[in-house]
Amino acid sequence: MWGWLAVLALSAPFATAQQIPIVERQLPNGFKLLLVERRGEPRISGGWVARVGSANERPGITGIAHLFEHMMFKGTPTLGTKDAKRDQELIAEQERVRDLMRQEEVILRSRLRRGETDDITAPESKTDRYRELEADFKKLLDEQRSLMVKNEFDRVYTLAGASGMNAFTTEDMTGYFINVPANKLELWAWMESERLLRPVFREFYSERDVVFEERRMRIESRPTGKFQEQFTAMFWDAHPYNWPVIGWPSDIPAISKAQADEFYRLYYQPQNITLILVGDFQTAEAEAVVTRYFGRIPAGQQPPPEVTTLEIPSYAEKRFNAEAETNPEVEIQWRTVAFQHRDGYALEVLQQLLNGRTGRLYKGLVRGREIATEVYANQDSRKWAGAFGIGAEVKDGHTPAEVETALYAELEKLRTEPIPPEELQKVKNQFAAGEYRKLSANFPIFVGILQNEGLGDWHEINDGGQKIQAVTTAEVQRVVGKYLTRENRAVATYTRKASAPAADQDPDLAGLAPDQLPAIRRVLSVIQAEKDLGKLKANLAAMEAQSANADPKRQQFQKILKKKVAERIATLDQKK
Amino acid sequence: MFRLILVRTICLLGVVPRLFSAEIPDRPEKLTFPESRYEPPVPAEYRVPLQAGPIAYLVPDTELPLVNVQVLVRCGSYLEPVGRAGLADFTGHLLVRGGTANRSPEELEERLAFLAAGLTSGIGDEQGTVNLNLLSKDLTEGLQLLREVLTSPRFETNRLNLYRQQIIQGMQQRNDDSADIEAREQALLSYGPDFWSNHFTTLKSVESITPEDLRDFHRKWFHPTNFVVAVNGDFDRTKMIAALETVFGNWPFSGTVPPPIPTNTVLAKPGVYVVNKEVNQGRVSVLLPGVKRNDPDFIAIQVMNDILGGGGFTSRIMNRVRSDEGLAYGASSQFPGGVNFAKPFEAAFQSKSRTVTYASSIILDEINRISSTPVSNEELQTAKRSFIDTFPEHFNTKGKVATTFARDEFTGRYAQTPDFWRTWRGKVEAVTAEDVKRVAAKHLHPDEAIILIVGQQDEITKGHPDHPVKLAQLASGKVTELPLRDPLTLEPLPSTPPAAPAK
Repeated sequence: MWGWLAVLALSAPFATAQQIPIVERQLPNGFKLLLVERRGEPRISGGWVARVGSANERPGITGIAHLFEHMMFKGTPTLGTKDAKRDQELIAEQERVRDLMRQEEVILRSRLRRGETDDITAPESKTDRYRELEADFKKLLDEQRSLMVKNEFDRVYTLAGASGMNAFTTEDMTGYFINVPANKLELWAWMESERLLRPVFREFYSERDVVFEERRMRIESRPTGKFQEQFTAMFWDAHPYNWPVIGWPSDIPAISKAQADEFYRLYYQPQNITLILVGDFQTAEAEAVVTRYFGRIPAGQQPPPEVTTLEIPSYAEKRFNAEAETNPEVEIQWRTVAFQHRDGYALEVLQQLLNGRTGRLYKGLVRGREIATEVYANQDSRKWAGAFGIGAEVKDGHTPAEVETALYAELEKLRTEPIPPEELQKVKNQFAAGEYRKLSANFPIFVGILQNEGLGDWHEINDGGQKIQAVTTAEVQRVVGKYLTRENRAVATYTRKASAPAADQDPDLAGLAPDQLPAIRRVLSVIQAEKDLGKLKANLAAMEAQSANADPKRQQFQKILKKKVAERIATLDQKK
Repeated sequence: MFRLILVRTICLLGVVPRLFSAEIPDRPEKLTFPESRYEPPVPAEYRVPLQAGPIAYLVPDTELPLVNVQVLVRCGSYLEPVGRAGLADFTGHLLVRGGTANRSPEELEERLAFLAAGLTSGIGDEQGTVNLNLLSKDLTEGLQLLREVLTSPRFETNRLNLYRQQIIQGMQQRNDDSADIEAREQALLSYGPDFWSNHFTTLKSVESITPEDLRDFHRKWFHPTNFVVAVNGDFDRTKMIAALETVFGNWPFSGTVPPPIPTNTVLAKPGVYVVNKEVNQGRVSVLLPGVKRNDPDFIAIQVMNDILGGGGFTSRIMNRVRSDEGLAYGASSQFPGGVNFAKPFEAAFQSKSRTVTYASSIILDEINRISSTPVSNEELQTAKRSFIDTFPEHFNTKGKVATTFARDEFTGRYAQTPDFWRTWRGKVEAVTAEDVKRVAAKHLHPDEAIILIVGQQDEITKGHPDHPVKLAQLASGKVTELPLRDPLTLEPLPSTPPAAPAK
């Protein structure tokens, strides 16, 4: 029987066989509830999505949506402390001290602007007053910790046999999830409604440090992480997609608990949240339990604000040339369309025509021209806007420019020459089979619903497949011509950065004190990476002018810098 | 206007549930739950010794019109001849990508793509795997293609050369990411430079690999007597058995039973090992001698490690390094238990350079503490419940049922302990706080610690003024500076690395 349905699905517009039977309910206070009964494992994947992400932030508090996600695991008045009253008092006192510390941070930033320090995050940069306040803060934290039950929120779930508790934040949404034994549905409702009703943001400031370590791990310590972040910032002009989800390095340590409280009030109200359960339960029972627990959370006073900034049109091609610790690569991004835009389906088909070992890019560049080793294409339909990207790793002996030209040639061929019907059908078959593959277990079904709902509409998980099957050759060619244009694109090329000699071995640095070495290494790496001849020459001239006035301790430093800038200018002159 | 009314209505309704919210308890312990029973699937019910040679596990399931076939192959990189590092990986990669006697690579790929079927293959250290996933309507054709790649792979030269180039370009990136440097040096410290799994690929070794080498390697090991098969999905059991007999019957060549996997590992001397790398976050792994998974202490060791650093947010290492101090995003430990040879205990984290030594000292404190002081009953119960009550997840899809049992057959666990899964929860339940302390004291010896650090050596050495911990204090041995290695030869580089050689 399945065989027949599958044949239908592959040869004709989609059969309804793979529709997920989602039941939707609305709670009086604004929560939306989505339920999928599914047998086969005695467990339930449960969670919720808040329709808020980094796109809802503003300069100064970038990263708050993600930091907030971390704070939602810190407990409630009854979970996480032995003395809720004293706990609250201590949090208030900690805020008072933090306000004073923030005044010191104002001083540090002004020192940085005046060039009196290079790094305000170094422990040595702290003011004496800051150190005193830090000690006061630590006393308050120590007292709070003596009353705390560490990570109790997690412990209760773990003791109950739950697993996989986690959360994620994107530009558009924040999702929270866990798997619980089927008989513990009420525990899930208790835990999740409690933390939504009365979260307590304990250990706010050490968690901020954790998030900064996450930033170092995911972005700063990766070979191309910082470059990708900067390329994204260049790609979007007006739209808040231009800052990283994890936040700018100066914003993360500046976010205050008061700002997190305000964020909670605005975006974590029932009207902005959808609850989702997939697994072994009876729908009516689950609905009753959820209504009882989540129904007690008051509705918000006003609806959360929308993101109103629309991306401006792109008037000129943008180019980004990076020297990094990586093989040569090319990445091209075009602005395309948002989630559920009618052109999005043709763009997804285009992506699949280009992708994979039998896709146009692999056949054209890796096997045909033999100028690339890896290729990819991706349509990223986000909530407020979208992008189409293609990229390739350059084969040794070839250049990013060659690969870039070949990528455009493949797109031009697609736009102008008919697509063989069997090639289009192949791609549609892959989408159709994918519809089944994503239904293999509770958790992937749960995540699929959550992501579609977070982008704006859970129905898409059942409706999107049919729209993809309806895409025609002409539509694919039209979207290539409409979106993948020169003025609409940003191009990143990567070339391998020549390894800098180890600073200790550099005889030029011999006269410096050990504590000056890290700073000069940082500056030297900036000089090595600089390719703008004019900028280097201007810097050199400025240093010449200043060197007479520099204090003696910095004279040696200045001398080395001038030499290195001059050397870099000579290298670049030679290349020309 | 409409919105205003709506808000008012919601506010009113909001009062109603509050009337009975008094029934909602203030603590989760006050909730009561219906009883839950779960018994794991029994391997013997799915196990079919095929006449053609392989043991197969068949798990029918009509929920979706898909079939998944997995073939495990007794082979691995431990069988590579000296100087041919990469041969096993190349053979595994190209088995389904280099064409067959009847089909060019392109024909095979295009047909699979049109059927939206996945046919993948790979050979790792101790196991080869070939996987077919397709719509059940295409099963007959898919099994025919599976037999073709298993019996007559073509290993076409242009595909071999393409993969060689991809591997070489991957090798060129060996020093780019500090995580890759850490993984490589950790393997060398864990098992010794002469152990077979540390015979890494080099430019020379991959350039020496010929299509003949691949054919020889394939013919030697890809034989039904070396296969274990897992099948799940939309099929009839009897028909599937007949189909598998055809796939694996009348094999066109005879194979060889592989020799045992060598186990001559050598753990490095205790001490601190540092690789200097210009990144603002240091990567640290603390290694201690490990065990095999059939060690009689292994279950107690797993409970102990869960409390120490394996249990995520309920573990001590996570609580101290991350939540208390904000020193790392990820901080954890694992005590993996090797199948064929002992695998070291490892605790790992990443922290900004200036707090690397401090965070390392916390990990060592915790290792000491769990060996010397009994764990609390609450910690013990949390760890045990997390193992026992999440147990159904081992079998939460039919695919997992089939592949878990096939893997047990492959590693010999089924032969040694056929009731492994049935009795496992009882063994976890039996672990006491005394057991935890005993196995910690027996197996975690901080004086044998090998601490590997990859990061900015100067900044890490400088440490943090609020938490002064010196590198040399961390381990009983000395501080050794490990060189970066040439990405293409893996020979140690002088401390001023030359530019990567152009090819």
